[in-house]
Amino acid sequence: MNQATVQPELLQAAQSQLAGDALSAVRRTALDAFTENGLPTLRDEDWRYTNLAPANELSNDWLRRVIDAGSDARPEARAASLPDLDVHWLVLNDGHVDEASLAALGSLAESGVTVRHIADCPDAVTADGPYDRLNAALLQDGVHISVAADASLDRPLAIYFNDGGTSVSQARVIVDVASGARIDLVEYHASGAADAHFANNVTQLNIAAGARAALVRVQDRDRGHFQVGKLTARLHADAVLDYASFDFGGALVRQDVCAEILEPGGLVRMHGLYLADSDQHIDNHTRVDHRVGPAQSREEFRGILNGNARCVFNGKAIVHAGADGTDAEQSNHNLLLSANAEIDTKPELEIYADDVKCSHGATVGQLDDSAIFYMQSRGIGRDRAQHLLTRAFAGQILRHLPIDALQDHLVARIDERLDTLLEETVT
Amino acid sequence: MKPMLEIDNLSASIGDTAILNGVTLNVKAGEVHAIMGPNGSGKSTLAQVIAGHPNYTVTGGSVRFFGNDLLELEPEERAREGIFMGFQYPVEIAGVNNAYLLKAALNARRKHRDEKEIDAFEFLQAAREKMRLLDMDQSFLNRGVNEGFSGGEKKRNEILQMAMLEPKLAILDETDSGLDIDALKAVANGINTLRDPERAIVLVTHYQRLLDYIEPDHVHVLSAGRIVRSGDKSLAHELEERGYDWLKEAASA
Repeated sequence: MNQATVQPELLQAAQSQLAGDALSAVRRTALDAFTENGLPTLRDEDWRYTNLAPANELSNDWLRRVIDAGSDARPEARAASLPDLDVHWLVLNDGHVDEASLAALGSLAESGVTVRHIADCPDAVTADGPYDRLNAALLQDGVHISVAADASLDRPLAIYFNDGGTSVSQARVIVDVASGARIDLVEYHASGAADAHFANNVTQLNIAAGARAALVRVQDRDRGHFQVGKLTARLHADAVLDYASFDFGGALVRQDVCAEILEPGGLVRMHGLYLADSDQHIDNHTRVDHRVGPAQSREEFRGILNGNARCVFNGKAIVHAGADGTDAEQSNHNLLLSANAEIDTKPELEIYADDVKCSHGATVGQLDDSAIFYMQSRGIGRDRAQHLLTRAFAGQILRHLPIDALQDHLVARIDERLDTLLEETVT
Repeated sequence: MKPMLEIDNLSASIGDTAILNGVTLNVKAGEVHAIMGPNGSGKSTLAQVIAGHPNYTVTGGSVRFFGNDLLELEPEERAREGIFMGFQYPVEIAGVNNAYLLKAALNARRKHRDEKEIDAFEFLQAAREKMRLLDMDQSFLNRGVNEGFSGGEKKRNEILQMAMLEPKLAILDETDSGLDIDALKAVANGINTLRDPERAIVLVTHYQRLLDYIEPDHVHVLSAGRIVRSGDKSLAHELEERGYDWLKEAASA
C-alpha cells in the first residue's frame, strides 16, 4: 500500500526559508521531535484504518513550492461565506488570522475575553503527536484566546476555517479558560475553494478550576479536502468540557480528541455525528484520561453511512491508578445504508483503579424495515419514511448540542445532508 | 350496492410457505366484519396483504378497492386512498414524534386529495378531542411513536391514528390482544364512534371478547388460509362455546 510520508529534509529546508520570528524556537523544537518520531503508518494501531498518504503527498508538494519560492507566500484573502449564525466570528484564512475579523473582536476585552496572534505567546504551544508536531514545525500564525476568571460572553465565539487557497493549511488555536469562566466555542470548517487541500489543525484547550468550555466542531469541507485535526483539553478541578462534533463533508478526515481530567470533579461530555457517503472516509478518535477521581465522562457518537463510505470510531477511556470514583460511559451506534459502506468501531476501556463505574458498547445496523412499513401504512412515502428514521437517529446526538445558537442551523444542515446521502440508496 | 372491498380467490405466501389459499370476501360501506380463526389460520396475513406488507407475495386472485386494483399500489398509496390497518404489534419508532407522524400522515392524505395542509391549531384541537374519547393522556402526542408505550397504550394510539385519519376502510388486526378490560372498553368505544354508513371496518380477532363491545354485521371463520364459514354474530358465540376444532375438521373433510 502507498505509504508516502512527509519527508523531514523537505520540512527542514522549508522551515529554513521562513523568516525568524517569535515562533522560530517552537518550530525548531517541533522539527526535531518530528524528525525523531516521523509519521505513523498503517502498522500503528491508532492509525491502522486511515491512510494519510494522499495528504502527506500534498504536504511534500507544498513544501517543495515553499522551498522554490524562498518563502511561504501569504494566501490571497478570499471572502469567507460565513453561515448565518448569531456568533462572534473570527476567520482563519488557510491558518492565517484575518486581521479585520481579529480587530472586530477587540470589544470582547470588556467582557474579559482577549484574542491575539499566537506569536504573542509562543510558550503556550505544545506538540506531542505526529501531525501536531508537523503543524508546529511550520507554525507561522494562529490564535490565542484567553477568558478571564469568571468571565463569559453574550454569544459564542466561532472560528471559521476558510481553507483551500494554498494546498496546505496549519491552523492552531489555543484557548485558556480561567477559573469560573464560561465560554462557548465553535470550530466551523468550510472550504474557501474546492481544490485538493490538506488542513492540519490543532486546538489546545486549558480549562481551569470550576470553568466550563463548550466546543462544537462543524466539519463541512469540500469533497476534495483532507483534514487531520486534534483537540487536546486539560481539565482542572470541577471543570467541564462539553464537546460535540458534526462531520458532513471532506474526502478524508481524521479527528482526535484527547481530554485529560487532572483534578477531581471534572466532567467530559463528547457527542459526535458523522454522515458519510460516496468515497468519504471519516475517522473520529477520542481519548479520555481519568487521572484522578471522582470524575465523569459521557460519550456517544453516531454515524450514518451510505455508498462506499468508510468510517472509523475509536473511543478510549483510561482510568489511571488511583482514579477512584470514576464514572465513564461511552457508546457508538451506526446505520449502514449500503452493503459497500464500512464502519470500524472500537470502544476501549483500560481500568487501573478499583472503585469505578464504566460501560461501553457499539452497534451497527440498518434502517428498520418494519418502521418504514408502519409509516408507509399511514400514507407516508418510503423516501420520506427513510428520511424521518435517519433524522431521528441523528437527533439522538443533536439533543446533546451544548450551544443553542447552532440548533436551527444544524437541524437544517442535517436535513439537507441526509437528503443527498439518501439519494444514493438503492431500494 | 357494490362492495367497497372485493377480495376474490386471494392466495398469498411468505417465502415458500403458502398462507392464504383462496380467500373470497366482499365488504360494503357501513358494514362491520369480524374475521376469526385459530392461530396460524392466516388472519394477520390477510390484513397485511391488504395493507401491502412487502414480506408477502400474492400468488393468485385479486383485491379491488372501490373497483380499482389494490395490489398494484404501494402501501402508502393504499393508505392515501383510505385504507387503515391497525397493527397487532405497533412499531416503536424512537425519535419520531407521535404528533409529527400523525400530522405527516394527515397531510399526505390531504395532499393526495388536493386539499390544503392542516393548520397547527386545527390539528391540536382534533387530536385532543380524540384523545379524550380514548382516555389518553395529552402527553402521548409529544412522545416518540409508541416509544416506551405499554401494550394498551400502543393499541389506543392505533385507534387515535385511525380516528384522526378517518379511513374509508379500517382493518384492525388483533386490536383486542393484550388489553385489560378498561383498555378494551376504551378501544371498543373509540371504534364504535367511528362506525359510519360511509365506512367499513374489518376486525381480525382470535377471541369473541371484543365482539361483546362491537357488534359485527358479519362473522367469518378463516382456517388453513380460506374462509370456511360465514354467518352473523351468533357464529361468534358458537365459536366461543365450541372452539375452532369442529370447523377445522369440516374444512379438511
